Amino acid sequence: MTSEKPTMIEMRDVHKYYGDYHALRGINGTIRAGEFFSLLGPSGCGKTTLLRTIAGFEDISGGMIMIDGKNMAGVPANVRPTNMVFQSYAIFPHLTVAQNVGFGLRRDPRPKAEKQREVDEALEMVGLKGYGNRAAHALSGGQRQRVALARALILKPKVLLLDEPLSALDKKMREQMQMELIKLQRQVGITFILVTHDQEEALVMSDRIAVMFEGGIAQLADPETLYRRPNSRQVADFIGTMNFMPAKIVAETGDLVEVDSQGFGHVTLQGSQCMGTPGSNGSSIGFRPETLTILFENQQAVDRESMATVEEVVYYGDMTYYDVRIDGMTSPVRISMRNVFGRPVLDIGNRARVAWSPGALVLFR
Amino acid sequence: MKRSPILGAYAVAYLLFLYGPILILPLFAFNDSRIVAFPLSGFTTQWFGEMWADANLRKALGNSLIIALSTATISTALGIFAARSSVRYRWPGKAVVMGMIMVPLVLPEMIVAMALLVVLLTIGVPLSIFTIILGHVLICMPFAVAILTSAFQSLDKSLEEAALDLGETQISTFQLIVLPLVMPGILSAFLITFTISIDEFIIANFLGKGDPILSVYIFGQFRFPAKVPSMLALGTLLVLFSICMLAIAEYFRRRGIAKTGGKDSGGFL
Repeated sequence: MTSEKPTMIEMRDVHKYYGDYHALRGINGTIRAGEFFSLLGPSGCGKTTLLRTIAGFEDISGGMIMIDGKNMAGVPANVRPTNMVFQSYAIFPHLTVAQNVGFGLRRDPRPKAEKQREVDEALEMVGLKGYGNRAAHALSGGQRQRVALARALILKPKVLLLDEPLSALDKKMREQMQMELIKLQRQVGITFILVTHDQEEALVMSDRIAVMFEGGIAQLADPETLYRRPNSRQVADFIGTMNFMPAKIVAETGDLVEVDSQGFGHVTLQGSQCMGTPGSNGSSIGFRPETLTILFENQQAVDRESMATVEEVVYYGDMTYYDVRIDGMTSPVRISMRNVFGRPVLDIGNRARVAWSPGALVLFR
Repeated sequence: MKRSPILGAYAVAYLLFLYGPILILPLFAFNDSRIVAFPLSGFTTQWFGEMWADANLRKALGNSLIIALSTATISTALGIFAARSSVRYRWPGKAVVMGMIMVPLVLPEMIVAMALLVVLLTIGVPLSIFTIILGHVLICMPFAVAILTSAFQSLDKSLEEAALDLGETQISTFQLIVLPLVMPGILSAFLITFTISIDEFIIANFLGKGDPILSVYIFGQFRFPAKVPSMLALGTLLVLFSICMLAIAEYFRRRGIAKTGGKDSGGFL
């Protein structure tokens, strides 16, 4: 579906040095027109630096960035077809809300009334109708963010850059703004690039995500692929929770890999479940907590079934997390279960039947 | 918490010692007697009239205003360059250069004045109001730079980037965003350097050619007992003026902090 969209940004072997510090180490990737793209990673991974090189606030030390088919080398920020929503929002404190939103139209030769109408429309779009004459420094955090959005979108950029725009908001407000941003992006159809360290936020909002570690992109994929088929233990660990068990590759025949692992015994995996390069030592299998199910009473496993002992119970209301040790494993694994009315929550020490499927396992080698 | 009454008494005594003499100034400026002594003998505004009738004093005031306005303008303008460059840019030897600018703050003014005098005479610069301005700029720069540095520091860098991002150039960004937001700091620096310059004595005395300068003139007039009351009247006005200037400077400084959404981190008042 998304693959038909044309390319908006192309990054080829982008490097950035700050003195001796190698902040971006050969970034390659394509961002498509009209997609909601996220740069996700821990602090210091280079995601903000990459965003700032796209915006034109930082020069790149090597490689090339193309926006809409044009090489951006030597093109300053003020003439790039990008606009930015800053982490601090950067609302001009000495101007009114309307003056802030209309700031980018200052050099626009159109008559004042027309520009005023555009400012009003932009304010209405972000839900701040009638706020035009307010002093900018008197706004709340959420309102500042909306002003910053309206101010950036009024220039109808090809790409909107968002630098951790939700990190300063409280949880409720953040979730509300996530939904509003998704809606807004669909409405205006502009390419959004979001920088975030919050994996949940990235999964919820993005069409595609680039996971970054130490100045490089570790994996670039849609949210579902990232979650179900992370291409390294590092990515798997950063996005959601994943259990890891040491495993030994017994045989590789064509697209099938036979693996021996604690608890699960001998399983055969498809090539698409196997990450990393064949032949390397020290492999492990990973699986998400919700891919295992505790069977109650006369429930039957669809695929495989093992016996396990409950070692820890964490009750979250709608969910219960169990740490169980499957017979034959040296350490417990985490299983998440949705709580269902009428079903008991197990206690520590209980024996339980656990259903699992080889198809949900991922091999990291 | 229980506090010793001695501490309270100490605080009161301290403040009295500090500000008591200044309070005496207006008291005797309005006292109907040429002799500065208690008991007070009656109310008069005669000394203010006498003061204003003194042509030399008016000349001294004029010279001092020229010096103070020039000093404030030059040191504020130079301070803007120094503060902006120290806050925003990195260049070799910055710490040393910025340190050198601040040094006159801790150097004895007497030493500065003597050194300047020797140098000026050696290289053959004639003493004038201009040389006094030169000395005053030197001792005022640390204050201007300190105030302006804090003003530039409280300016969020992303505000400038946002203006660039929205299509402005470096120069128009400076005009539209940076200047308006640091303006309170600029005004504050101007007023404080003006105040420092107008009542400065040592440099005015060493580097002047003999033109009457307010501080030097006042010192000279104190030799004549008959002139003392009118000098007290002048002093009263100067105290009032200084308080006003500092209050205005502080008002602008705080308004600047409030506007940029920062927290007050102390100041001169």
